[in-house]
Amino acid sequence: MLALELVAQGLVQGSIYALIALGLTLVYGLLRILHVAHAALFTLGAYVGVMVYNATGNLPLAFALAMVVAGLAGVATFRLAYQPILSQPPFVALIASIGLYIAAEETFRVVFGASGLSFATPPLQGQVALFGGIQFKTAELMVMLGTALIIAALGWLQTRTRVGVACQATVSDPQMAESFGISLRKVRDINFFVGSALAGFAGVWVALLNNLVEPTMGSVPSYKALAIIVLGGLGSVRGTLAAALVLGVVEAFGTIYLGKLLDRNAIAFAFLILVLMLRPQGLFATR
Amino acid sequence: MNMTDQAVAPLLRIADVTVRFGGLTAIDRVSFDVHPGELLGLIGPNGAGKTTMMRSITGVVRTTAGGVELDGVRLDGMPIERRIRCGLSLSQQLVKPFRGMSLLANVALAAGSAKTSSPLKSLLHLSRREELAVAREMLERVGIAQHAEQNPAIQPLGILKRLEMARALALRPRVLLLDEPLAGLNSKEANALSSTIQDINRQGVTIVLIEHNLGEVMRICSRLVVLDNGRKIAEGAPRVVMNDPAVRAAYLGGDTLASAAADQSDTTTACAALGGQHA
Amino acid sequence: MDYEISLLTTMSISVLFALSLNLITGFCGQISLGHATFLGIGAYVTALLGKAGLPFLATLPLSMLLAGAIGAVVGLASLRVRADFLAVTTMGVGFLFVGIIRQQDWLGGELGISGIGGSGLSKTGFMLLALLSTAAVAALCLYIRASWMGRVFNGVAEDEDTMRVLGIDVPRYKLAAFAIGTALAGLAGALYAHHLQFIGPDSFGFVESVTVLSMVVVGGIGSVPGVVIAAALLSALPAWFQFIGDYKLLVYGGLLFLMMRFSPGGMAGLMSRFFNPVQTSAKGER
Repeated sequence: MLALELVAQGLVQGSIYALIALGLTLVYGLLRILHVAHAALFTLGAYVGVMVYNATGNLPLAFALAMVVAGLAGVATFRLAYQPILSQPPFVALIASIGLYIAAEETFRVVFGASGLSFATPPLQGQVALFGGIQFKTAELMVMLGTALIIAALGWLQTRTRVGVACQATVSDPQMAESFGISLRKVRDINFFVGSALAGFAGVWVALLNNLVEPTMGSVPSYKALAIIVLGGLGSVRGTLAAALVLGVVEAFGTIYLGKLLDRNAIAFAFLILVLMLRPQGLFATR
Repeated sequence: MNMTDQAVAPLLRIADVTVRFGGLTAIDRVSFDVHPGELLGLIGPNGAGKTTMMRSITGVVRTTAGGVELDGVRLDGMPIERRIRCGLSLSQQLVKPFRGMSLLANVALAAGSAKTSSPLKSLLHLSRREELAVAREMLERVGIAQHAEQNPAIQPLGILKRLEMARALALRPRVLLLDEPLAGLNSKEANALSSTIQDINRQGVTIVLIEHNLGEVMRICSRLVVLDNGRKIAEGAPRVVMNDPAVRAAYLGGDTLASAAADQSDTTTACAALGGQHA
Repeated sequence: MDYEISLLTTMSISVLFALSLNLITGFCGQISLGHATFLGIGAYVTALLGKAGLPFLATLPLSMLLAGAIGAVVGLASLRVRADFLAVTTMGVGFLFVGIIRQQDWLGGELGISGIGGSGLSKTGFMLLALLSTAAVAALCLYIRASWMGRVFNGVAEDEDTMRVLGIDVPRYKLAAFAIGTALAGLAGALYAHHLQFIGPDSFGFVESVTVLSMVVVGGIGSVPGVVIAAALLSALPAWFQFIGDYKLLVYGGLLFLMMRFSPGGMAGLMSRFFNPVQTSAKGER
């Protein structure tokens, strides 16, 4: 019973991780950049979501605006921050990205205050019992469902539409793709938009689950998402999804059984280090 | 196998080397010896396994079976840096000089191998006067001493190829492996560089030359080993080997013809070599 | 006067800490996002042994030893994984360290260890010790840079595969860089603990690892004078401009980003571009 409950908890957390890490993996696959600042867009999405909902009471609108704002901010980040330094050695972009994230986090604190925002009347907080008695918040069920839907939709877009195929082609061979008339710039913009919108989407869900958004809410997910995409083999979308869910579950069990020894973050990273030492190419690398 | 060769012990011995990648056999029980002082050409059409052979000698690729011996020392299982310390030296096909330092400093870094054998040793040595002298000598040997103080980032490929060779020589190797040194050079440059290679060999350096440019190989090598489809199909004096029907078939027959035709200059040199019209 | 002494001590420890990371990341090219871990190990060793009654000066080498030993183990990771993987792994080590400290009561847990002291030196004496240590470490760095070890590090940082073709035992050099760099971080940590007389898990987290990396990067990766100046300035900045105190992280983050965005070579890169424009442009063309 406890095991089942832990798995369920782990999957809820894993879904959030997956949403955040997916954007990170898209960026890594395309540009080979560890995009730490990605989590700032997650925080941005959460703020927009809460503010829009508190102003209008319309949850779908809150989600939509959060995704659009985060997506556009992502494209801006790419154009202003990364595009000019793509030819530099990889640590340059990584450090720039860390700097950007820290500055963004502090900007949230200065603009919105350190104490954070919450929903005036938080939606989707009802309890549902499933599988013979495991209690879920409506929001918890919705986040799993939402993640599954959005990932399925993305998968469909990627294989069935021109834009999706162009993106895939660009990831596997940018020069070849360009010679087939695919605009690299457009593909990168689209990737940043989609990835960042997913982060914004995740931000609103986390706001709903915790009924709180605060400037620092992105920091832990940001580092953890890095761990996840590395676990998933860097740049592999399927690996990232699997790694996110596995990590969610490992953490859920770890906090119960190893909680005396390590805190939640430490468990995640202990798992990461263990896996990397055994399989330096990541858990699910195909190459 | 060759009766006359048994008088002199081989310096480098390749014995029944087999390399498999998954189900694919890239090298199939290839054996040959490299004798002290010789300039051995390792040739074969595209995809014959020359590069894999080279990599199994340097240790970049693990041999599935068989072994490599340098002067009686088994190299199998050693990482590349230990093989280099044993007396192999590799001049890479893709030239990768260190860009932040002059040509001279590049070569001096290699010349310092006695001082860099362990971190502690390296920490106790400051001066590189001797190494700079060695480096200058090596740059002179390959004919680019006039560029010694310049940065490699601004040099043309021809000079970088020679730099790569000087760096390999500075390790004072017992066997020097040259991986397609002529690739990417025009015929005049290729001719000049192969003459340099010949000079270095005459000064007493044992060389294994992997090369596509058959004309130059025929001109400078004392002996050839020919690979095709991962097997050794011929070995011996250049003229004899080139008249071997199996070698002619490998180069001119079947699907290799198309790839040869893709490179016009290669085809003409190959035909010239096969026709025996070389100097 | 007390204030200036304290500030100078802080700056000196920061410079020492930044130099220790510069050895690993700047000289040898191995990125570390968890360097504060070794500052922490040094600090905890000296604090605990000091509480157990060991004299301060005797704890210093032990701090360095444990930090260096664990650093060498973490360095083993750099043999398995490279570049981006290594960055994330070292970051993980940092989170692991803080996570362990938090849950262990005998290490002070969340509350940390307070009342560390008894270096037996006056404030001025301690400052002199810190300055002397830092000067010695800076000299050591310059010596390493000029030695064959420095030349090998330089090569490993640029292209480790080619170094192996030159017969260099790259793994041993990487381990040496990690061992030396982390041992020096341990020394910085020991001084830090005795200077502040209080340590806790939050003093050695990811933010501190990033802060020290920013000092190295802003100074110019690999440049000893650059890193010394940057670390001194960045550690003094919040104290000099009180109003910055609250925005310290904003300034750090912004600086880090702007430096990478507009001058990836750091201050040292800016200077050389300024004084030697031709060479840098030739470099840029490659």
